[in-house]
Amino acid sequence: MSSLPLNAAPFLQIEGLSVSFKTTVGRVKAAEDICFDLKEGQTLALVGETGCGKSVVASAIMQLLPHNASVQGRAVFAGRDLLALSEREMARIRGSEIAIVFQNPSLALNPIIRVGEQIAEMLQVHRGFSRSRSLRTAEDMASRLGLAERDKVRMYPFQFSGGMNQRVMIATSMILSPRIIIADEPSKGLDGPMTREVMAEMMRAKDQVGASLLLITHDLMLAREISDRMAVMYCGEIVEIGKSREVFAEPLHPYTAALLSCLPERGFQPIPGSSPSMIEPPAGCKFHPRCPVRQDMCMKGPKMVEVDDRGKVSSVNEGACREVRCWRY
Amino acid sequence: MLAVLKAEDVAKTYEYGLIFKKQHQVLQGISLEMEEGKTLGLMGVSGSGKTTLGKILAGLEKPSLGRVLFAEKDIWRLQGREFAAFRRRVQMVFQDPEGSLNPRKSIEASLHEVLGLLKIPSREWHDRTGDTLEMVGLSEELLCRYPAQISGGQCQRVVLGRVLLLQPRVMILDEPTSALDISVQAQILNLLKDLQKDLGLAYLLISHQPEVIRFMAHETIVIESGRSS
Repeated sequence: MSSLPLNAAPFLQIEGLSVSFKTTVGRVKAAEDICFDLKEGQTLALVGETGCGKSVVASAIMQLLPHNASVQGRAVFAGRDLLALSEREMARIRGSEIAIVFQNPSLALNPIIRVGEQIAEMLQVHRGFSRSRSLRTAEDMASRLGLAERDKVRMYPFQFSGGMNQRVMIATSMILSPRIIIADEPSKGLDGPMTREVMAEMMRAKDQVGASLLLITHDLMLAREISDRMAVMYCGEIVEIGKSREVFAEPLHPYTAALLSCLPERGFQPIPGSSPSMIEPPAGCKFHPRCPVRQDMCMKGPKMVEVDDRGKVSSVNEGACREVRCWRY
Repeated sequence: MLAVLKAEDVAKTYEYGLIFKKQHQVLQGISLEMEEGKTLGLMGVSGSGKTTLGKILAGLEKPSLGRVLFAEKDIWRLQGREFAAFRRRVQMVFQDPEGSLNPRKSIEASLHEVLGLLKIPSREWHDRTGDTLEMVGLSEELLCRYPAQISGGQCQRVVLGRVLLLQPRVMILDEPTSALDISVQAQILNLLKDLQKDLGLAYLLISHQPEVIRFMAHETIVIESGRSS
C-alpha cells in the first residue's frame, strides 16, 4: 500500500459514467452513475462479484467498448475528457499514458510472436524506437520482472506458464512508463502464491514509474492487501467507497457487509438469493430484495452520500472520503 | 465405520518420449479411506499429483501399482453391471463448471441426458428434474437457458444436479469453487455441506486453499511430490 496522502489532487476523475448495451433481449444497464477519482500514485480497487460491471467501467474509460454500447458521463484525465476524444487521440493515450493489463494473458498475447517482440512493439509504435533498441529495452524490462534469462524473451506465450505470461503483460503495460495502469483481474487463473508474486512485481514496477493503479478484482483479500481505497460495486452501481482498511473494518452498506461475510475468516456465510438481472433490475436500491435490513423507503433509489468516521452524513467538502449509497445514512 | 472407497499403495507413472522412453513418477505409495458422510481434504501445490489421484479414485485413470477398492472390491476387476454401478456411484466434479456442460444443450437437455442414460421412463423426467433443481437451489426458469446464459455459480449447481441424478455415494470434488467468486464460493460450499448431511455422501475435496479445506474436511491428506504426508 502506498503512503501517499489520500487528499492529493485527482488524477483521473470519473463523473456520472453510465454504460448500457443494446441486445436482442433488451437493454443491459451495465454501469449506472459511476463516480470516483484516482489520485496520483494511489491504488484504487474496484471490487464486486463477476458480472457487476467492473470491467465495463475500465473498457469505457479506454474507449474499448463494442458498437452496441451507449456511454454517458465524463472521464477527466489531465484536463481532457477521455470519452470525448477521437479514436486517433485515444490511440496516443492508450499504452503511453494509460495502460491496461487484461485478465487473460494467454488470450491477450499474440501466440505466434515472441514475447520480447510483443513488449518491444510498444516502443516502436509509440516512441519510434528502432527494433534493436526496443528489444534491448524490452529485455531490460523483462529482467526487472523476473524474466531475467536472455532466452526467455525469445520464447512464445504458449511456452510460458500463466504467471510468466502475466509478467509479460505487466512488462508490456509498464514499458512506456504510463501515468495510470488499469489492471483487470490480474490474479485470475493464478494460484495463491503466484498471485502474490505477480502482484508484488506489479506494485514494484508501478512504484518505479510513479503510476496510479486502478485494480479491478473480485479477490477481496488482494484488494485489501494492496489498495489505498476501495469502491464496492453491485449490479452496475458503486454502493460504497472509502479507505480499504476502513471498509474492511466497518462496512457501512449492507451489501459490503454481506460480501465480507463470505470471506473464509468470517465463516463462508453466503448472501441469500442471487444477483439480479441487469436488464430489469429491482426498483430503488438494487440490493433491497436480498438485504437483511430493508425498509419501505428502499423501493426508492438512494443517492450516494458522504459520511464521516462515525457513520454520520457530513456536509460536502469537509474532507470525508467515505461515501455510501443507502437510506440508513 | 466401513470405508466406501479405499486406495491401497497407489502409484502412477507416466511414460513419455518417442524413441527413448522415459518415466515420470506422479504418485507413490498413496493409501486413503473415504467414509460415508465424511469429507477427506486433499491438499498440495500445483503439479503435486492431486488431480491424478482424484481421477484414479474416480476410475478415470488406472493406477500403475496398487488398488482402488469400492465396497471392498477392486474396481479394475469389476465387470459389466458391477462396473457400471461403480461409475454411477462415484462421481467427479471439475474446477471449471462452464467447461463441464455442453454449450449447445439447454440446462433441461443436459439434465434429461442423464435420465435417458439411466433408462428412466420419460414420464418421470419432469418430476425428477424438478426435485433435483430444488435440491441444488435453482428455479425451473433456468431450464430453457444455455450454459453461457447463466452465471458460473448456477453452472456449478447444474453440474451438481447432474451428478445427484445418478444417486452417487462418493463425490470427488476437484477445486469445485476455485473458478467462482467469493460470494458464490460460500453458497456452493454450504450447499455441499447440506447435501452431505441429507444424503450421507462421502467427499474427497481437492483444493489448494487451506481455508476451504478447514471449513469442509473432517480429515486432511497433504501430497508433496506424489507422496502423502
